[in-house]
Amino acid sequence: MTKLQTISGSFRMSLLHFFADPQWIIPNIIAPFVFTIVALVLFGNVSTSVALYAVLGGGMMGMWGNTLYGSGFALAFDRWNGTIEYVLATPSRLVWIIAGRSASNAVLGLVNALAIVLVVVIGYGTLFVVANPVLFILALIVTLASLSALGVIFCSAFLLSRSAQVMTNGLEMPIYVATGSMFPIALLPLWSHPISLSLGPTWGIDAMRYASDAAYSGLGFGYWTDLLVVAASTAIYMAIGFWLFVVVEKKVRRDATLTEY
Amino acid sequence: MTDGQEKAIVVSDLRRVYHTSKGILRKTRQAVEAVKGISFDVEFGELFGLVGPNGAGKTTTIKMLTTLLTPTSGTAKVLGFDIVEDVVEIRRRIGIIFGGERGLYYRVSGRENLRYFADLYGVPMSKREKRIAELLDMVGLSDRADSKVEEYSRGMKQRLHIAKGLINDPQLVFMDEPTIGLDPQAARDTRAMIKQLVEKSKTILLTTHYMFEADELCRRIGVISNGEIVALDTPAGLKRFVKDITVIEVEAFGIVDTDILNLRRRPEVKSVSANLEGERQTMRIQTPKGSEFIPEVTKLLSAAKIFDIRTKEPTLEDAYLRLVS
Amino acid sequence: MALTLADWAPYRIFWSSAKFAFKALFSWLRPPMWLTQLLVLPLFQMAFFVYLSRFVNPSGAAVAFIAVGNALQVASFSSIFAVCNLTSEEKWQGTLTSLIVTPANRFPLFLGRAMFQILNSMATVIVGLFYAANVFGVDMSHADFFALAVVILITSAAMTGFGLMLGSVGLFLRTAMIIANIFLFIGLLICGVNFPVTDLPIWLQPFSYAIPMTYGTMAARAAVQGSSIFELGPVILEELGAGAGSILVGYMLFLGFEALARRRGAFEEF
Repeated sequence: MTKLQTISGSFRMSLLHFFADPQWIIPNIIAPFVFTIVALVLFGNVSTSVALYAVLGGGMMGMWGNTLYGSGFALAFDRWNGTIEYVLATPSRLVWIIAGRSASNAVLGLVNALAIVLVVVIGYGTLFVVANPVLFILALIVTLASLSALGVIFCSAFLLSRSAQVMTNGLEMPIYVATGSMFPIALLPLWSHPISLSLGPTWGIDAMRYASDAAYSGLGFGYWTDLLVVAASTAIYMAIGFWLFVVVEKKVRRDATLTEY
Repeated sequence: MTDGQEKAIVVSDLRRVYHTSKGILRKTRQAVEAVKGISFDVEFGELFGLVGPNGAGKTTTIKMLTTLLTPTSGTAKVLGFDIVEDVVEIRRRIGIIFGGERGLYYRVSGRENLRYFADLYGVPMSKREKRIAELLDMVGLSDRADSKVEEYSRGMKQRLHIAKGLINDPQLVFMDEPTIGLDPQAARDTRAMIKQLVEKSKTILLTTHYMFEADELCRRIGVISNGEIVALDTPAGLKRFVKDITVIEVEAFGIVDTDILNLRRRPEVKSVSANLEGERQTMRIQTPKGSEFIPEVTKLLSAAKIFDIRTKEPTLEDAYLRLVS
Repeated sequence: MALTLADWAPYRIFWSSAKFAFKALFSWLRPPMWLTQLLVLPLFQMAFFVYLSRFVNPSGAAVAFIAVGNALQVASFSSIFAVCNLTSEEKWQGTLTSLIVTPANRFPLFLGRAMFQILNSMATVIVGLFYAANVFGVDMSHADFFALAVVILITSAAMTGFGLMLGSVGLFLRTAMIIANIFLFIGLLICGVNFPVTDLPIWLQPFSYAIPMTYGTMAARAAVQGSSIFELGPVILEELGAGAGSILVGYMLFLGFEALARRRGAFEEF
């Protein structure tokens, strides 16, 4: 009961901060936005299926970009603000506080998808329709959970190691490539496939495509297998994140590195 | 509850060493012992003060007791719970109020700040809004509750800090320099609120370096200097350290550092403290000789222009200076 | 005619400014981060667009175009992003005030900070071209390496000038970070990196030609295909023009900001 309260309180606070300064999302989603527009130009003829591909891919990249930067820096924000000691002194576990923020960041990443939708509709005059909205929403929610859980891992990595901040810059592009957000992972070298397949979002976007386009075949395992894998990945990421945060909390109390940044 | 429940806080030989490293290529590690094995206890319903100069170890001690830092050695129990093993239990039951500008989310309203911490403290949803309203009323922020904190004055922010520190209705409240940087009115209001809390049977551990504040508020005071407790007593008890002393207070212009040194060299002088900034410099000389010593002082300060020189009864401040210098 | 100390002053200022920028760069950007920027980012950015192009066009016809274009565009990480942030970093750390009250000649001060980034940009582009040739199979057998080297140098310098201009804009608006982020990637769209500028809507094309990178990508492709430095002359001159123009505008803005801040007394507005 309290965990849920912590997560929802954190989620809400994070959203409030977004609405207070919405422009700060731009750095996190500018790359996905530009990449998607370039993709649209490269595709040339923007049919409804292309538009869908672009919106989904762009949305995924936006969610990824915002999760990565937003969650990675989630506690750094508290450091700069001077609120970190107060947050740490509450009986709520850090991991749930960050989970809430991470979830809000993943959701806000959808802003990128909205921006792409606008470009596609206004710029190209193309509309698109999702074949099965219910399954689509389900896949979206599960994928958001997976991304949030990944965000939790990043945040703890940031706290454990200053040079883990290298990871944010280092992970943005590789994930756009590895999750097959804009092109099938079949095109990538064979040795990289296990990496791609170990990422929840890869399966998530596949599931969303299945739900949007009746003719889609993708990874070949079908919608429900995809969904199962994403859910499993979420559980695994949360377990890792949980363990990492236990380490973080102990370290932070031992080494007094909280206020440093 | 576990044993030790007769006292709110029991500290036993608490030690904290910080390790710092300098340099990029060749790291040299230094160990700084911020708290050198302190012991004290705090009774339920007491307002206990921990005073000391900057860097004495007050903040480190509070951070250990509020579970933000683990001690290097020693033990402490807060409300009967161990500060290393029972972290969550302690956090549920205590409130913390650290002074200063930071520690609030500026871009959202005061009410939202309180809601957030209410959630993190697990205040039941059914009670949350009511408690927030009560606290806002108590600190006098009800009419500004929905404005962004960045629009608050310094005093208002401090009041919000207090409301935040009480959001979980804690049994024990830790306050680290709560009136620092506040204008006299705001400071006075804060002290009044602190007294109200004691009347509500809350236990408070307060750190401050304003002696008059400690004198006014605290039942007992622990003086910490250089990581060690050098005295622990009621204000009256502490003043006994300087009962044999008279204070000669000088107001002058033109006093220089060598004057202070010369005074300190005199065997009759127990301590000298001075504020040499500005046009009206002040100096407090502790001496058992009382007014007899005034001619000596005048002689030693002959190069300066003395506006006023008089004897005073020693205050807690003088006792403190004596203890920490 | 002997040179006096005063004659050396601009160079000393330039050099100490450069050294400061180098130190400042490394104080928050540790070597691992710098290496990531140098080695990892170019590879994956290039990979994204190359694979995308293979998806759209399985024949792989556009791969060389895209790979070389991206190899040049990655210079933006240092020339735009780092330079733009340098300006706002100083502001943020409150050092801008102390810097501005020195009697130092402004121009070398302004330029000196960027010097290291030119080198950084060149290194990034060289790494990018290495990837283009060895990972994505771009044929470099006919390349005129001297011409290519010149293009790399000029593009790095010109884009750093562009970055300085953006940094100056960032002094006025309070969002150098956002500008830096936008321009870091906008080149992918409008500088002929992934497709020719002519594929863009007509109204957008003039903006492309204001950015030095547009000329750089054209020249680099030509050099890879064997054009000599003489054949590339006109394009390189246009790029130099765009770069010089940026530096001039940037410098004017910098002086303007200083004057405005002095009048208002508000340096640390952040």
